[in-house]
Amino acid sequence: MEHLSKILIIDDNPDYLFTMATFLKRNGFETLTAEDGQKGIDILEKERPDLILLDVMMESTYSGLDVCKRVRVNPDLKDTPIIGISGMGEELGVRLEKWGDEDYFNVNEFFDKPVDKERLLSKIRDLLEEGLIKKGKAFRIAGKLYKKK
Amino acid sequence: MDNAGSQSTVGSSYHTGKKTTHEPMNRPHSSFIVDGLGFKSIIDLLPCYLSIQDRSMHILFANQTFKYDFGEGIGNLCHKVYKGSPEKCETCPVQKTFDDKKVHISEERVRLSNGQMADMIVYSSPIEDSSGNVIAVIEMSTNITKVKEMQKELKNLGQSIAILSHDIKNILEGLQGGAYVVDEGLNDGNMELATRGWEIVKRNIDEITTVAQNILYSSKKRDLNYQKTSLNEVIVDVINLFQQKAKAMNIKLEYKTNTALPRIRLDPLSIRRMLENFIWNALEACKKDEGKQDHAVIVSADFHDRFHLKFEVEDNGVGMDEKTRASIFNEFYSTKGSEGTGLGLLVADRIIKEHGGRVEVFSNPGKGTIFRVIFRIN
Repeated sequence: MEHLSKILIIDDNPDYLFTMATFLKRNGFETLTAEDGQKGIDILEKERPDLILLDVMMESTYSGLDVCKRVRVNPDLKDTPIIGISGMGEELGVRLEKWGDEDYFNVNEFFDKPVDKERLLSKIRDLLEEGLIKKGKAFRIAGKLYKKK
Repeated sequence: MDNAGSQSTVGSSYHTGKKTTHEPMNRPHSSFIVDGLGFKSIIDLLPCYLSIQDRSMHILFANQTFKYDFGEGIGNLCHKVYKGSPEKCETCPVQKTFDDKKVHISEERVRLSNGQMADMIVYSSPIEDSSGNVIAVIEMSTNITKVKEMQKELKNLGQSIAILSHDIKNILEGLQGGAYVVDEGLNDGNMELATRGWEIVKRNIDEITTVAQNILYSSKKRDLNYQKTSLNEVIVDVINLFQQKAKAMNIKLEYKTNTALPRIRLDPLSIRRMLENFIWNALEACKKDEGKQDHAVIVSADFHDRFHLKFEVEDNGVGMDEKTRASIFNEFYSTKGSEGTGLGLLVADRIIKEHGGRVEVFSNPGKGTIFRVIFRIN
């Protein structure tokens, strides 16, 4: 499954982009990277990644939350799973909860830095599987995933 | 002992902060205090401000403590006496008590007759006539300036810790990521990958060093060690410190000095710390900028005008929009950055304030930023 999955990483820290891309590539995913929200939006509209790993607190013209909104209001993109990442976990958790009513700010999962890579990997796999099932490209029987040919 | 005599004795001991000692064998009987001093004197001596206002906010009565800190007061408008304001206070508890006959509490910032500002907690309660109409309101205030200052310090401390925890988490993420890349490079015998990972590790070690220095600076309440200081020498010292780092980041680091500058009284260690933080910030701004090929940071010292000298740190990095520029010295904002510089600009700002200087920031998104620090020639 991983070889089919494209993950877009959006973060304004180039070191972080590089290490995360290295980690995901070595775990069998295809990666795309963007160092600000605007580039992230361009890439995701063109490349349609299967999942987005998003720094929620970037200081660019398009912040992480703007990217989130752009994804959620676009009918073609709105189901793309987003994993939000930030160094201010609890504080941001409170804010996300506050915005809970506004669907377009919803991330599927939230990770605090430093990110537990094994947990991240397992969450990415879960979300990708759910995505495939939602798109009708796979089904699950007794906990096992079967992909349609 | 007559009323006036006791009043001045105890009154002055209260105001000078001396404690009145009581002989345990000679403990005065409660009736002696009430009968001897009289209620009027007790009210006068209360360690809080007590006044009575009529519906038009004129002061009908004020106790001695009030008069001591706010002047005579009686016959004047209370907002005039408390705040020097011709208008009623917006949150006036006295007015509310007149309106609904209930006790009200509010916090007010007032000016004492010696010109000092003070924070007060104010209580108001109604005086009613036999038919239940409010004819006047008693106001009792206590000075809570010290409590307020403590609150503010605690808040600052909390915010500093929030910034730190964010900085450290980011650095940890960088160290873990860098170490992972080194491992993978070594496993594969891919030295290029390992080297790239090692550079990330080293950058994060630099960052945690800066963070640690800023923690040390902001946690110690140190006295400034004023010396006749040459801005030129400070610049050269600090530039030398950063030259190698700038080279590694492929950023040109230059300086301009003016040999005609006089030495001025500053704490050279703090000023170095300040300049280091501005330069670090400028290098980070260049690193983040993808729009240009060549980046430079220029540090200079010169006359600002006849009475002032200035430092400038100029970069052609990412720049800031108006909103960002307005909030960089704000503690909450600093936590938003993704690099370990959150505390740096706050520390720089504090140093400038400690020296009675000021800072100006000019910035253009995509073009760059100039930090200008101005000190008076003393």
